[in-house]
Amino acid sequence: MNKMDSAVPGEQNVSYRQIGKPRTRIDSPGKVFGKTPYAGDYVMPNMLHAKVLRSKLPSARMTRLDVSKARDLPGVACVLTYKDLKIGTVATDIPAQTGFRRRDTDQQILVDEIVRYQGEPIALVAAESVEIAEHALSLIEVELEPVPGVYDVFEAQKPDAPKVFGDDNIVASYKVRKGDVEAGFAAAETIVENTFRTQYIEHAFLEPEVGLGWEDEQGVINIRTSTQAVETFRYIADAIGIPHSKVRIRGALVGGGFGGKCDVTVELYIALLTLKTGRPVRLGYTREDSFYGHGKRHPFIISHKTGFAKDGRITASKIDITSESGPYAFMSPYVLMYATEAGPGPYLVDNVHIDSRSVATNNMYTSAFRGFGATQACIAYEQQMDEAAKVLGMDPIELRRINLLKTGDAIATGFEVQSAVWTEECMDRAWAALGEKPKDEGAIRYGHGIAAYQQGYGRMIWLHDTAEGWVGVEMDGTVVVRSGMTDIGAGQTSSLAQIAGELLGVDMMDITVYNSDSSTTPLAGTSSATRGLYMSGNAVRNAATAVRNRLAARAAQHFGVADSDIDFADSRVFVASDREKSLPFKELIATCASEGIHRSELAIFRAPFGDWIDPETGQGQVHPDYTYGAHAVQVAVDTETGEVTILKSVGAHDVGQCVNIAAVEGQIEGGVAQGHGYALSEELIYKDGCLVTPSLSEYLCPTSMDSPRIECIILESRSGLGPFGAKGIGEPGHTPAASAVANAVADAIGARVHDFPLTPEKIARAVSATRDNG
Amino acid sequence: MYANFDLLVPDELDQALTMIGGAKTAEDCAPLGGGTNLVVDMRASGKAPAALVSVARLPGLRGITIAEGTVTLGAATTVSDLLRDPRMLEVGAAMVDGSRVFAGQMVRNTATVAGNICCGSPAADLVPPLLALGASVTLRSAGGERTVPLDEYFTGYKTSVRRPDELLTSISWPVPAENSASRFYKLGRRKGDAITMVGVSVLVGMKDGVCSEVRIALGAVGPCVFRAKTAETVLKGKAPSPELVEQAARKAMEEAAPIDDVRATGAYRKQQVQVLVRRLLNQTIESLS
Repeated sequence: MNKMDSAVPGEQNVSYRQIGKPRTRIDSPGKVFGKTPYAGDYVMPNMLHAKVLRSKLPSARMTRLDVSKARDLPGVACVLTYKDLKIGTVATDIPAQTGFRRRDTDQQILVDEIVRYQGEPIALVAAESVEIAEHALSLIEVELEPVPGVYDVFEAQKPDAPKVFGDDNIVASYKVRKGDVEAGFAAAETIVENTFRTQYIEHAFLEPEVGLGWEDEQGVINIRTSTQAVETFRYIADAIGIPHSKVRIRGALVGGGFGGKCDVTVELYIALLTLKTGRPVRLGYTREDSFYGHGKRHPFIISHKTGFAKDGRITASKIDITSESGPYAFMSPYVLMYATEAGPGPYLVDNVHIDSRSVATNNMYTSAFRGFGATQACIAYEQQMDEAAKVLGMDPIELRRINLLKTGDAIATGFEVQSAVWTEECMDRAWAALGEKPKDEGAIRYGHGIAAYQQGYGRMIWLHDTAEGWVGVEMDGTVVVRSGMTDIGAGQTSSLAQIAGELLGVDMMDITVYNSDSSTTPLAGTSSATRGLYMSGNAVRNAATAVRNRLAARAAQHFGVADSDIDFADSRVFVASDREKSLPFKELIATCASEGIHRSELAIFRAPFGDWIDPETGQGQVHPDYTYGAHAVQVAVDTETGEVTILKSVGAHDVGQCVNIAAVEGQIEGGVAQGHGYALSEELIYKDGCLVTPSLSEYLCPTSMDSPRIECIILESRSGLGPFGAKGIGEPGHTPAASAVANAVADAIGARVHDFPLTPEKIARAVSATRDNG
Repeated sequence: MYANFDLLVPDELDQALTMIGGAKTAEDCAPLGGGTNLVVDMRASGKAPAALVSVARLPGLRGITIAEGTVTLGAATTVSDLLRDPRMLEVGAAMVDGSRVFAGQMVRNTATVAGNICCGSPAADLVPPLLALGASVTLRSAGGERTVPLDEYFTGYKTSVRRPDELLTSISWPVPAENSASRFYKLGRRKGDAITMVGVSVLVGMKDGVCSEVRIALGAVGPCVFRAKTAETVLKGKAPSPELVEQAARKAMEEAAPIDDVRATGAYRKQQVQVLVRRLLNQTIESLS
């Protein structure tokens, strides 16, 4: 790479020609001009329309199911119930590329006897029109006999509780034992204890689940769908009883995922109906279907007991974590692991004791959601830090500064982080960006809040994560990239073009990326876990580097210089020490082609592999690496009504290296807006397992009227494990935002609301409780 | 999924009145304004009236006229129309307050004031300002026309005196007297596209140092929007004082009968009636002195 004056907002004097620049993404023109088809835009001749019949009760025994009237309705092609399924179950616990699968976590595809949550699918219908399919649903006769369910995580752990999962309703549990926590408390001057609760929330992606399936001339079931994971073809194949090679998932650009499109939803029903009817089948969820049809973010109850020495240093941290899994495992064990690992936050704590468990209930099942448990952990540890600062009479920034992890320090699991840990710098810059706090006026009080965090990127190392990528140069010097990675709207494919373009000296707009096809693009794993850029970016970097090296060797031979003296830029190849010596890139390519020099490469990137952490002590490595940063928020609170207005919201993150700074800002802004909603207004309320907020009229995401301009402060340590030293930012931008809002509100009103979301009513109640108490 | 219905789009008012004239119940035929409530409800419930009669193309039904001391809104006037008319600040400040926080921009562009009344929701954001301003509505049928004070229009939760064969054709209120002021405040769970937890509107007119006119209207704290008349009498004809304002606020709270729902508890709503009535009375009185 050329060393030039820094043109990127980095801290070191390194620069690139395309990397780090605020480039227009390659996916933008198609979206702006309306040319990009999303999965729901695909139709086929002779296509059927599908609908799903769901249970209205959360816990029941099905005593009767008669679909004969629906089958007899003219225009109905197919009605499927559990009796029609060759295999009744589908895997829910399906991480990564390893093929690991915990058999005891499978889910029934359609209810065969017991209903375990409201919305559990009972029957599938495919018909000539959506209207006929809907009519057919109404003709299906179902009798459900309510059976006692359990809707509370503490009730579910009692010996006589109804059993939803296994023999104890415990889906997973972990412990961390580091140092001597009792000695730590004994040495403490002050001990602070608090319990924080978070709520069920919805991904609320703009594009509900949708897909179109058809059987091709080779008997392959093709499914065009909106997904974060094309690798689900394996689990669909297993569930419908055909070879893995006979199911092909073709992704489309995704209208939002946030973790909610990692699990199998519509694609399995489409596969079953396509296989049965032999005709193309389209299934598109309505917003209401989407509310009932995919797993939600886990509610957590997290208790902290923290000991502090006189100088504010943490002497011990005891944490108890309970998450709610609903009736099926899905990603609950892994989400719990993230929360456990992140338990004490980005702080150096020698004495740590954590117990955590995920508990099954008959409320809606939960799975991946941006931040994956580390967000809930942050909501607890960062509110705990502010509460501790209050008790200790210390400035919350200074209390954090004393305790923050530094590069090389050991986190809760004992792993010593080798990349840069710039939390302090991020915290100071985000805080400074808030400026002066405005003067209170009447009932309006202003508050400032900060939250620092630690978020792993990449998969847990015992999942042995890999990604493949292919790069090839065409005869005219343009470049093709093939990657199985899905593009969920964050600029995933564009970043691959930028990386290949940087290495081959070809503008990213001259690069075409084919992606997210489980049969024809090299498999790269899900776009989740903040692993897309890290894994696929490295795979494409490896492939492009291999091609570059071969081309450079041929160019070096041509110019009579060393390979290392060859560089590529602006579709030319040249001698770096004597730029007059240059050739158009395509001439070099023509030479290589005529000599049979391989102009493409399929490469693999392997993340660090390791073993599961010690089950007794929780010590070991969980993630390849971590992203650090901080978020600061200024709010105005009406202390009479409890209304909150977010005035300033500033995220400062060390992203290692931006690939596209505009995309990095987009990730932070989106994550922050989601964090604002998490803190203030979003909540799925289940009453005895039944959803009482089943539409976007009751479920309140922030609107543009609720969102301030979000400021991004981007630091580049170039110390990450991603391409060019990048760290991940997909989840981290979101992770601290909600905690910062909560701390700002508490600062404004002088009281803490421990249960999310911070509704006007809860805030007003907390204010009047403070007044009543003095 | 939508239930089947006929969409009727008449060009003349007489034609519209004939179309709706045969309706015996609301299930037979309903007037269609912007559809931002009606159509959403139809989709959610899967039920629809047999026919919808659109007011969109009826001549002369969209617009704001101010003449002879009266403000008149045609039934097809949208919420955005109100915001675009600079005269509204003078003749109905509370309506401007209400329009600004009404749903979101897209809904404001198509939702009509008449529709907001006809849907009958207790959380309708333009009804408290209209009650505070002392508005009346005109109901037309093939058989004739009648004018009903808005205060007597609602009879309960989503029920009113409008017969199924009548169209609400216009809304009017007297231009507020000199030295009077009106306000509306919407308390919502968020700032855009929110359903109101508590809506309060007040109008105060001052003459010779006393409150010559006081109207206080409460939204989302009863089966329909209503006036807190006991609270009004506390101030009416009296020189305002902090004590009287407090007393009026407390009376208004006592008159409120809110329910618990997913947005808020009844107890919080009741308490907020007191907070907001006090606040709006103070603001209006202060602006007049």
